[in-house]
Amino acid sequence: MPPSQLKQLKASLRDSGVLGPQQSKKQKRQNAQSGANVQNRIKRNAALQAIRDRFNPFEIKAPASRGKFDVTTRDNKGATAPRVRPGVTKSLGEERRRATLLQEMNKKNKTGGILDRRFGENDPTMTPEERAAERFARESQRKLRKDSMFNLEEDEEEFQLTHGGQSLTFDGVNLDDFQDRELEEDDDEMSDGEMSRKRKRIFNEDGELEEVPEKEGDEQPDRKKSKNEVMKELIAKSKFYKHERQQAKEDDDDLREELDKELPDLFAMLRGVPAPAKPANDKKDLESMNPERAALIEGNSKEHADKEYDQQLKQLTFDKRSKPTDRTKTEEEKAEEEAQRLKTLEEERLRRMRGEELDDSDEEQEDKEEEEEEEDDDDDGSDDESIPDDALAFGLRQTTTRPELGVEDEDDFIIDDDLVETRSDVSLSFIESDEDMSGEEPGESSEEEEEEDELINGFTTPAQGDEDANPSGIAFTFPCPEDHESFLQILEKVAVEDLPTVIQRIRALHHPRLHSDNKAKLGRFSAILVQHVAYLANQPEHPPFAILENILRHIHSMSKVYPDKVAMAFRDHLREMSISRPLNPLPGDLIILTGVSTIFPTSDHFHAVATPAHLSIARYLEQGSVDTLADISIGAYAASLCLQYQMISKRYIPEFMNYVLNALCNLSPEEPSKSLGFFPLRKPQESLRLTSKSAKHRKMQFWDILGSESKEELKVALIATFVSLLNSAAELWAAKSAFAEIFTPALRLLKHLKKSSKGKQLPSDVQDSLQVTLDKLEQLLSQARSNRRPLLLHNHRPLAIKTSIPKFEENFNPDKHYDPDRERAESNRLRAEYKREHKGAMRELRKDANFIAREKLREKKERDAEYEKKYKRLVAEIQNEEGREANAYERERKMRKGKR
Amino acid sequence: MAPTGDGAKGSKKRKNPKDSGVPSSKRRAVAENQSEDAMAKIQELEEQISESRKYYNNIAILLSMLPAGQAGGKPNLAVAVALCRVFCRLIAGGNLSEPRGAAENEKVIVAWLKERCQEYQKALLDIVRNADASSQITALTLSMRLVNERATNMPEGDIYVWTFGLFKAVFEAVVEAQDGEALRAEFLTNFVKAYDDVRYFTFHHVSEYAATPRTSETLQVLISMLSECDTAPTPEHEFESFYNKNAQKNKKLVSVNAHKKRAQEAWLAILRNNLSQSQRKALLRIMSHTIEPWFSRPELLMDFLTDSYDVGGATSLLALSGLFYLIQEKNLDYPQFYTKLYSLLDADLLHSKHRSRFFRLMNTFLASTHLPAMLVASFIKRLSRLALNAPPAAIVAIVPWVYNLFKEHPTCTFMLHRVVRDDPATGFPDPFDPFEPDPTRTSAIDSSLWELETLQSHYHPNVASIARIISEQFTKQSYNLEDFLDYTYQGMLHAELGTGEKPLKKLPVVEYQIPKRIFTDRGLEEDGGVDAGPGSLVRALWDFA
Repeated sequence: MPPSQLKQLKASLRDSGVLGPQQSKKQKRQNAQSGANVQNRIKRNAALQAIRDRFNPFEIKAPASRGKFDVTTRDNKGATAPRVRPGVTKSLGEERRRATLLQEMNKKNKTGGILDRRFGENDPTMTPEERAAERFARESQRKLRKDSMFNLEEDEEEFQLTHGGQSLTFDGVNLDDFQDRELEEDDDEMSDGEMSRKRKRIFNEDGELEEVPEKEGDEQPDRKKSKNEVMKELIAKSKFYKHERQQAKEDDDDLREELDKELPDLFAMLRGVPAPAKPANDKKDLESMNPERAALIEGNSKEHADKEYDQQLKQLTFDKRSKPTDRTKTEEEKAEEEAQRLKTLEEERLRRMRGEELDDSDEEQEDKEEEEEEEDDDDDGSDDESIPDDALAFGLRQTTTRPELGVEDEDDFIIDDDLVETRSDVSLSFIESDEDMSGEEPGESSEEEEEEDELINGFTTPAQGDEDANPSGIAFTFPCPEDHESFLQILEKVAVEDLPTVIQRIRALHHPRLHSDNKAKLGRFSAILVQHVAYLANQPEHPPFAILENILRHIHSMSKVYPDKVAMAFRDHLREMSISRPLNPLPGDLIILTGVSTIFPTSDHFHAVATPAHLSIARYLEQGSVDTLADISIGAYAASLCLQYQMISKRYIPEFMNYVLNALCNLSPEEPSKSLGFFPLRKPQESLRLTSKSAKHRKMQFWDILGSESKEELKVALIATFVSLLNSAAELWAAKSAFAEIFTPALRLLKHLKKSSKGKQLPSDVQDSLQVTLDKLEQLLSQARSNRRPLLLHNHRPLAIKTSIPKFEENFNPDKHYDPDRERAESNRLRAEYKREHKGAMRELRKDANFIAREKLREKKERDAEYEKKYKRLVAEIQNEEGREANAYERERKMRKGKR
Repeated sequence: MAPTGDGAKGSKKRKNPKDSGVPSSKRRAVAENQSEDAMAKIQELEEQISESRKYYNNIAILLSMLPAGQAGGKPNLAVAVALCRVFCRLIAGGNLSEPRGAAENEKVIVAWLKERCQEYQKALLDIVRNADASSQITALTLSMRLVNERATNMPEGDIYVWTFGLFKAVFEAVVEAQDGEALRAEFLTNFVKAYDDVRYFTFHHVSEYAATPRTSETLQVLISMLSECDTAPTPEHEFESFYNKNAQKNKKLVSVNAHKKRAQEAWLAILRNNLSQSQRKALLRIMSHTIEPWFSRPELLMDFLTDSYDVGGATSLLALSGLFYLIQEKNLDYPQFYTKLYSLLDADLLHSKHRSRFFRLMNTFLASTHLPAMLVASFIKRLSRLALNAPPAAIVAIVPWVYNLFKEHPTCTFMLHRVVRDDPATGFPDPFDPFEPDPTRTSAIDSSLWELETLQSHYHPNVASIARIISEQFTKQSYNLEDFLDYTYQGMLHAELGTGEKPLKKLPVVEYQIPKRIFTDRGLEEDGGVDAGPGSLVRALWDFA
């Protein structure tokens, strides 16, 4: 049971030190002297107030219901804040409203008025004397405050307090002897003006008009200057002197300049020679000068010149500083740089070959299986680990597959300039510069160079010859064709041999630098050229390959600037091929496919042009008919092409093996008695077996794809081609782990071929190459067998067993929201906040309305009471008067009665 | 006939010199006149027959007017129609059956009439066999009417007519008719498919007809006939449309089972006949939805299916699903099923157009977890070996399938990962025997899947990345094989090339070096005569001139 209220009160009084042991008299005196008494009193009052508050049971709001049992998840706000003091909060709110809302209410519908901002005006703790003293102190401080060390005019601008035309400043009596006369005049003027009679107004620093009662000035005590003020005056004086000196110096300078101007005249006069063309000279001089200096001399205002000067200075600071230029490189350095660049390009190619930067294309392929994509990503990671090995291998390969550096510049009309610019990977950024660099290449000079080049090599294409014969045979200007038909129209009168010249001229005439539209035009032109190559190759009169080659090289050079246009053209062609004639390619299609192999990097893991092209070739090899020798010739060309595609990346092509083995089976003089392997056999409708014994060996001709007169010769040539293709393929895929599986059937087939052609059906050189290939295959096969090891594909770290432990929150707080969805949590939070704010605002508004109503009522009551008072007063007055009059009347009557 | 014919000719002859310059319309009018005369004559003869018995000789006259036997000639159809009417009337009147105890001369007349009727039928069938299409169809309709009349009115019973009599002859004529596509189509749509009893007896005749070995063309006709009847009746089906109104009485004709039995017999007779390979394949293709519903006892197909399965190649593939059904549902014991299945995995399998069908089935066969791992390993190894020579579409299907099998049979994963204790310097010989026919003896499980590892460097990026899943961690439970089955070159090319409307996502990379030569030997001397640049392979093998 707690102690009684009285005991509690006593205890708390003692604790707070209100009650305490009696103080001795001495102590009391000391306290009184040191002023501690006052402090003690304040302290005691505060303590007492606190105790009173504490012991007032009505101040504290009792909890609505008894507290519930404490559980962890309960919102414990109510439990911790039981001491609500509605009285206090209410009065606080009331006070606040009185300060704000009431003011507003009173000011409502009222305009104007003066806001008293004088210091201490609203502070009730200050006595009027203190207020005045403080104000004065502030004013003098303000005067003392310096804005700038060099602010000379400050003093003059200040208003001064005057009374009856007399300045109220303290130093008014003993004015400094150096005071400007002007200032005095000013003062006089002011003192004479109408202001003198009026109340003086002063602007304080806030810019507020302040009414200064006149008596204030009177009340200012006359006193001695403070040290501070003396110092200030001193400084002001020195400033003034300084100013004076500067003025004098400037005057001197002006004078000297004027004299200087006249000096040439003087010289001239001294020499006795009339001054020649002085004004022109002068102008020239000005031109060569800095503009601001010129402007100065020209007599422009100095401020203007200064401004300009500042501007120029700023510009100069932003200008680049000159740097030492690179020194001219020696030949070795150039070569080294070139090698470095080629190496980086090659490395990039290799990276593409491994498919490392192809995130988006991978996505494209694997849309339906995300898992696979993930695995791809994993795979990328593992590829990264193997980079060094590949690089090592690459180092070896580079020398074999890439031409030597020194020889490369042969093709200067295209390569050099382009190569310099293609260094960067981001093609868009360098397109501009690329154009600039390659600007001259298609021009006359390069043409001549090429011509010379060809002449030197002793290899003249018909085109060159023709050009030599009648150089003016072709028009010099051609319009840039919009589509293939118009290009054909242009070419109507031009011999096929002159085609390269025409293309060169079109490229030169419509160089992007000459007109902004030319870029788009040439882009279209590049696409047209792609069409034209195919068209040309499809023509019955086979155009010379030198021309096709030249056009392809043109396309290649243009594709560096317009890779998208050229690629789209190629893709269009491939699409048309795949739709209209997938299994009967025209010669033009084969030329296009050949062009793809040179223009685009076929080694890329994925390439927008090379991959579909490769797929088209493979499709032909898999499904194309094998009925005639022409078919097989096309197949042989396609097989060579797809092997060519994989020369660098060495990827495996099942269709190639199928086709070559099948074709050799069908061409060999005898049919193999048993199955040679797992490749599918497709028999032609009529036998294509080699029968003649006298056929000679020749190289395959491209136009054999249309069939040939001498069938037996063609068969021999085909056999030789396929055998050497097998040879190359074996070399290419020697490192594959399934090499034995791939080439064992080939070995069997070659053996069969050798056996069946024992009767000398094959010429001896083919026999030889067959034997060579056989030996090589056997050797590679034995190598592959001895190098073979079981697969070790799953050296993965074991996967962790999946856990089913629930997600456990350390320091779980039931008040907190553990929403994993961030956005939802955020929106929930905002909603709650909004609700809270809304509630609060409503409450406040309600209270405001209450307050306003209350105030209005109070006002009304006041008004009513006043009215009542007034009314009563008036009534009383009247009654008074009435009474008085009544009394007077009574008196009068009495008097009259008395008289009577 | 002779006098009329002479008269007509005479008049023609008479008119001819006069009308030599007359336009042909007149001549046609004359011809019309002539045919009108003939029609009137026929009409008259026919009416006379119906009037009295004494004009029965007119039948002989009419029969002689029906120029049957002249192959390619146009038969006189009006005569045929008239005769049909005559005989129908006679049959309906009971004139073709001899009443009991009839007089001798009556018997003579009936016998004579019967003889004429046979003659007429024979003539009609000749027309069906040999004449042109429209005559064939008319003759067929007439014969069928006769069949109907006889079945209805002849005392010897309808069954006889249908099974042995006229209908049999009609059926054979239809089957053997020359250029009879239109005829047979007519027969099928207007009779066989329209009338249940006709179909019933057609089935009967097919089974009888096919009992003896026939040429493949005839069989083809029969197959196409039977396959037209592709909707087998449901057990509660009630037969209502009958050609012959007496048929309702026949119990067999209203029973579903009897119908089915007939159809089954017909099909079996055909299946037992000497079918050509293409017919066999065609039959296997329609087996499930056309043939099988007619069979009340599908196990009777067993012989055909096992025979087909043993043929090998595509035929086996097609027989597989039927056989599987029998094994699964009818408890067919097919010894060495998996050995046979294994033998189907030959070089052509992955290139055939039944590839995806086979994969679906094989996926079912190998889905059992109770299969020995050795056997599964053999299948995996064989398919990987085949994948080395397969088109991309097949590889794309094989790899996920192999993955699924590895998931099912973890013992087989030694084929992907095998740690060898002592590394032999001579290399690891492949223990797999590709020529062993028994999948449990190939020791494929001791081998490794170098083939799939090689395919990870397939030229096509998608195939390569799919092949890579076997060297990743096996985190995925299984791949849905259905997603991988139906790829084609065309589809893949289309996926790569799109429609050409969208611009490329990013700029294609261009080979940084422009080669000196593509086709020609341009500037070869400068390189010292050694052509090592890009494209050298093609240039070495091909001469561009």
